[in-house]
Amino acid sequence: MRIPDEERALAEKARAGDHIAFAGLVRLHQRRAYLVARAIVTVHEDAEDAVQDGFVRAYQALERFDTTQAFGAWLNRIVANAALDIARRRKVRTTEELSDALMSPFRDPAEDSELRARLAAALAQLPERARSVIVLHDVEGFTHVEIGEMLGIPGGTARSDLHHARQKLRGLLKDMRG
Amino acid sequence: MTDDLKFPGAGRADSESLGQPLTGLVRDAYLPALPAESDAYWAGLEQRIMARVRAEGAEAGWWSVLAPWAQAGLVAATAIFALTSFINQRLSESESQYAYESVVQTPPPDADASESLFLASDKTAGRDATVEYVLSH
Repeated sequence: MRIPDEERALAEKARAGDHIAFAGLVRLHQRRAYLVARAIVTVHEDAEDAVQDGFVRAYQALERFDTTQAFGAWLNRIVANAALDIARRRKVRTTEELSDALMSPFRDPAEDSELRARLAAALAQLPERARSVIVLHDVEGFTHVEIGEMLGIPGGTARSDLHHARQKLRGLLKDMRG
Repeated sequence: MTDDLKFPGAGRADSESLGQPLTGLVRDAYLPALPAESDAYWAGLEQRIMARVRAEGAEAGWWSVLAPWAQAGLVAATAIFALTSFINQRLSESESQYAYESVVQTPPPDADASESLFLASDKTAGRDATVEYVLSH
C-alpha cells in the first residue's frame, strides 16, 4: 500500500516533536477514527473520549511508529483499543440508552423516522461485538483481518461473527415488521 | 484535506450484504450527533485532541509502552515491594530494640553473682562473729 507523501512527511515531523504536524494528522484521520470508536462504543460521548485517548496514546507511541506504514491503520488499532478499554470500564448500557444514542435528534426529520427507530432498536439489541463487526465491515469497509486486529480476535472469528450478526439483525427487523 | 466518510470498501456488495438502503441507514445512525458536514464540529474536536496532546503527550513515561494489565501488575509489584520493605524494617527495628533492652534492663550476671557473694560473705562473717561471741562467754 502506497503511503501519501503528505502523510509520511507529517508523521516524520510529528515524531520529531512537531505539534503542528501532528495536528495535520489529526485533521486527516479524526473522522474515520471517530467512526471506528463509535462502531465499538455506540454512544457519541464515549466515541469522542476514545478518539481523544487514541490520539494521545498514538502521540506518546510515535517513536515506535514505522513511517513506511499507513498511519491510519496503525491509529485505528490504537483507537479501537481505547474504545474497548472505555467499553470495559463504563457501566453496561441498556438497550434503551443505545437505541437513543443511535437516534440522533440532529437528523433530518423528513427522513423515515419509524424505519430509523426500528433499526436503532434492532442494533441496540445486538451483542456489542456483533454490532461493532457489522458497522466496521458493512459501513466502514474494513476487511475481516483488519477487524480482527482492531478487536483482538482472529480474522476467521470476525467473519463468522459478521455472518451471525447479519442474520440476527435481519431477524430482529423482520420481527419488528411482523 | 480531510477524509470524507466515504471509504473504498464501504458498503461492499457480497452475497450476505445487508443491502444498500439498510447499510446507508446504519451508516447514518453512526455519524456524529451533529450535521456530518459540520466543519466546526471537527475543528472543535481537533482542538480538544491537541489540547490533550500538549498536556499529556510529554508526560509519557517508559511505562506507557506497557499494556494496561502490565501497568497494573507493575503497580501491584511496587506496592508489594514497598509493603515488604516496611515490614522488614519494622521487624529489624523491633529486633534491635529487643536486643538493646535486653542489654540495658537485664542486670549483668556478674553483678548478681558478686552481690550474692558479697551478701554470702557478709552472712558468713556475721555467723563467725556470733560463734566467737558464744564461745568467748
